[in-house]
Amino acid sequence: MVLAGAAFFMGDYHNDVYRKLLLWVTLALGYNFLFGICGQVAFSHFAFYGMGAYSIVIFLFQFHLPLPIAVICGIALCVLFALAVAIPSARLEGFYLALATLALGQLFIVVLNEGGEITGGTGGIANYRLPEIFGLRLRGPWYTAVIALLVVATYAVLARLDRSWFGRACRAVRDNPEAAAAMGVDVARTKVIAFTLTSALAGVAGMVYAFVDNTVNPPIFGIDNAFLLLFMVIVGGAGRHAGAVIGATLLFLLPFWLSPIVGHHQALVFGVLVVLAILLQPAGLVGIYDRLVRR
Amino acid sequence: MKLAAMLAAALFATAAQAQDSIRIGVITDRVGVSKPYAEPATEGIVFGANELNKKGGVLGRKIELLIEDDQSKPDVSAALARKLIDQGAVFILSVSLSPATQQQQTVTMEAKTPQMTPMNSADYLTTQLNNPYFWQTGPLGSVQIATLLAHAKTKSLKRVALITDNSELGQAIAKAFRAGLEKSGIQIVDEEVVSNGSTTATPQMQKIRGANPEALFVAGVVTATNVLIFKSYRELGLKFPIHASYNLSVPIYMTAAKGLVDGITFVDAYDPDKPEVKAFEAAYKKETGKDPANLHGYGYDGMMLIAAAIRKAGSADKEKIRAAMQTISYAGVMGAKGMTYVFPEGKRAGFDPNGMVVRVYEGDRQGRVVHVGQK
Amino acid sequence: MQDFFELAVGAAASGCVYGLIGLAYLLVLRPTGIINFAVGEWAMLGAFGGFVLLTKYEWPYPLGMVVALGILFVIGGSTERIVVRPLVEKGAPLLAPILALLGMVVVYRETISSVFPPDPMPVPYALGMGRLEFGPVGGTYQSFFTIGVTLAVFTGAWFFFERTLAGRAFEAVALHRRAAALMGINLSRVMALSFGAGAVVAGLGGLLVAPNTSAYYLMGVPLAIQGFTALVIGGVGRVEGALLGGLLLALAEQLTVRYAPIPSGYAQGVPLVLLMVFLLLRPTGLLKAKG
Repeated sequence: MVLAGAAFFMGDYHNDVYRKLLLWVTLALGYNFLFGICGQVAFSHFAFYGMGAYSIVIFLFQFHLPLPIAVICGIALCVLFALAVAIPSARLEGFYLALATLALGQLFIVVLNEGGEITGGTGGIANYRLPEIFGLRLRGPWYTAVIALLVVATYAVLARLDRSWFGRACRAVRDNPEAAAAMGVDVARTKVIAFTLTSALAGVAGMVYAFVDNTVNPPIFGIDNAFLLLFMVIVGGAGRHAGAVIGATLLFLLPFWLSPIVGHHQALVFGVLVVLAILLQPAGLVGIYDRLVRR
Repeated sequence: MKLAAMLAAALFATAAQAQDSIRIGVITDRVGVSKPYAEPATEGIVFGANELNKKGGVLGRKIELLIEDDQSKPDVSAALARKLIDQGAVFILSVSLSPATQQQQTVTMEAKTPQMTPMNSADYLTTQLNNPYFWQTGPLGSVQIATLLAHAKTKSLKRVALITDNSELGQAIAKAFRAGLEKSGIQIVDEEVVSNGSTTATPQMQKIRGANPEALFVAGVVTATNVLIFKSYRELGLKFPIHASYNLSVPIYMTAAKGLVDGITFVDAYDPDKPEVKAFEAAYKKETGKDPANLHGYGYDGMMLIAAAIRKAGSADKEKIRAAMQTISYAGVMGAKGMTYVFPEGKRAGFDPNGMVVRVYEGDRQGRVVHVGQK
Repeated sequence: MQDFFELAVGAAASGCVYGLIGLAYLLVLRPTGIINFAVGEWAMLGAFGGFVLLTKYEWPYPLGMVVALGILFVIGGSTERIVVRPLVEKGAPLLAPILALLGMVVVYRETISSVFPPDPMPVPYALGMGRLEFGPVGGTYQSFFTIGVTLAVFTGAWFFFERTLAGRAFEAVALHRRAAALMGINLSRVMALSFGAGAVVAGLGGLLVAPNTSAYYLMGVPLAIQGFTALVIGGVGRVEGALLGGLLLALAEQLTVRYAPIPSGYAQGVPLVLLMVFLLLRPTGLLKAKG
């Protein structure tokens, strides 16, 4: 509630940044589950974000499906792709999965660029609006409220899972797959479910993103952002939801703060800061918080 | 460093009359893929603003530039556009990627703030969204191919090949080239794409050779990739003429592609013999000690166009500026001799379709103008 | 058919560059288990070194090459010292140095971007622009130079790992760190050397490819991905794997563009699809590791 209410007090610009920040937090939470809790290094998260965004726009405006059907189709699409990637790669060692998903991410961009009429090619698609839901037009701060809802819902789902036996199974798989198997956990199935679930969540976030600027185009979903997502979760503290939130907030807002101060060299400073963060606190910033609390 | 000093000077000059200044937002790219174009264009804008301020500003008020860096990330772009509007910018200049400019439009349309790109040449920018607050004064891809064809017409081409890179703008320009060629009834016998980051363009050039074209049209905009294409061309000993997009007008080719560009024709929006250009070059050199390139001219013209619109509107009110800009007629640095920027009835692409020139590389230097306009 | 021979040498040269980058990964990976994505940026640094020394200051090629590579050795070693060593000594999980090195990718790239103008910079050919023809097969001097140098490097690397005591020490560290330390092998020296050597090899790759592609600040990431793909295809078990993988990748890339009946825009997908196929079907690569 607080998150949503805050939206009404901010100007347009801040609202926009806030919205995007919330979306990144959503993504980071999901990614944290996949990477931090389940131990799978994947670079495809952002591709699913893009898949969700593009699919809803295409289903709504190219195929003219009604909104609820479009949403379901979009989710179905993400789930399908996720399964297609997850099932064969369940057998792969951690870093091979990373590679395969990196390749997937890039392939996605290639398809987007070459997609011609359907994906709008290199220019993307613009010129659309969120259709009315039950006769309501969601704009501005109201839309921010929707996003806030998304974040909270994602967090709730993931936190629940985390505490359940599934979460424990994931951790077991992350720390020691052989031991987990010995204890009766179906390693492959756990991995596949975790991957598919978080990818679908990313897809949903993507659908919401499509209407933030009412534009989708290939550069938005590039691999640079996939790396950024990884950095966010690491710097914040992998494995902890709070870590994902802190990391996402910090790394997303950092360029905005740095820009006025350092101007030209903002990306360099950013890189240095990230390296320093990893060097000084490999457990992530949330580790610092832990230490303070323990005192 | 000069940029920072100039910027500081501009800001300092306006700090004294902060509340009285006219704020112009600039969204550029300092770290991403658009940097090679965005950086010089921004320098041109800053130079223009400084020049204006030295003469007392516009309508007696100083110009204050608010410069933001969008890293060629379109969603950051849109957020920055909002930031600039919140900060009171009455006009936004976009010199970053075309999709970034596009994404900013959603914002400027909603916020009814005038926006212009003095440089992007993608045709879809004024057609995909019906945004009355947006103008484009960069040379459109469609204008480029039409001008090239008008020059090449004398050679009565029938079969040509088309090659480009896989960047967003490269694809957009290739699309425009394709349309222009087909409209002229010229057959495209082969079409190739070279990925940015490739180590060679030879397989693509071999395919082109196999199709036996009379000429090759290069629509690519990434210098490194175009260099690869030219290298393969020489390696394979190919002889057909090359006609290239405006990317070839970037001066770096004279050093990065030594020995490779002799004889290539390209379109440019810069005629070095034009008196406005000579004046611009002299003034720029005097102020900064460096020679400007044509890219600086785009930014400079953008700034000057805005100033002219504000003067014509007689105020810094966004609606009045919008009306003034739509009906403006201004002769700038870019374009062929005698060209003015005009936005004909309701259209928002202002670069005169007859305003490009075709030039030829002579040796390693950008040579003379051999053709003007589309006739 | 003539096209194929024409492509052959050029593709082999590209493959050699990929192989060198793959080797750079390998040199760091074997003793430390760290995947260093910054090798692409090291290659870029080699290219810029070539630009500064050879184009701008016009030093003779051999001298410029040696000095540029020497600088890269220092850069590699210091990266290890500053960024990797503290993490390893703190006992951080293996992922931490990998991520720190990813951060370094940004640092390297932005440093170059701040110092040099954003346009591509020319780097001279080693032996000038010219062609050698052996019957149907022909290629530029640069291609042959690249192939020759790469073969020399790989032979040296193979020799080092197979025949020398120091090379065996590397292997020992790769197999079991503790045992290696107990046997008196200086772990930190091995690590520093491996990073330095990796930087030199990567820089060499960059220097060799730059006369064709020009030196520009964005060239690192594509090379890093191509080198990695080469490694996966060839197998991480043996040094020769990187070279084999590189050659196969380059041939696949270029032959697909030349002969496959798909629009060349999709040809970019070829290395990616190849990578995914290999990862799924044969993640250990083509060449099996020894013993």
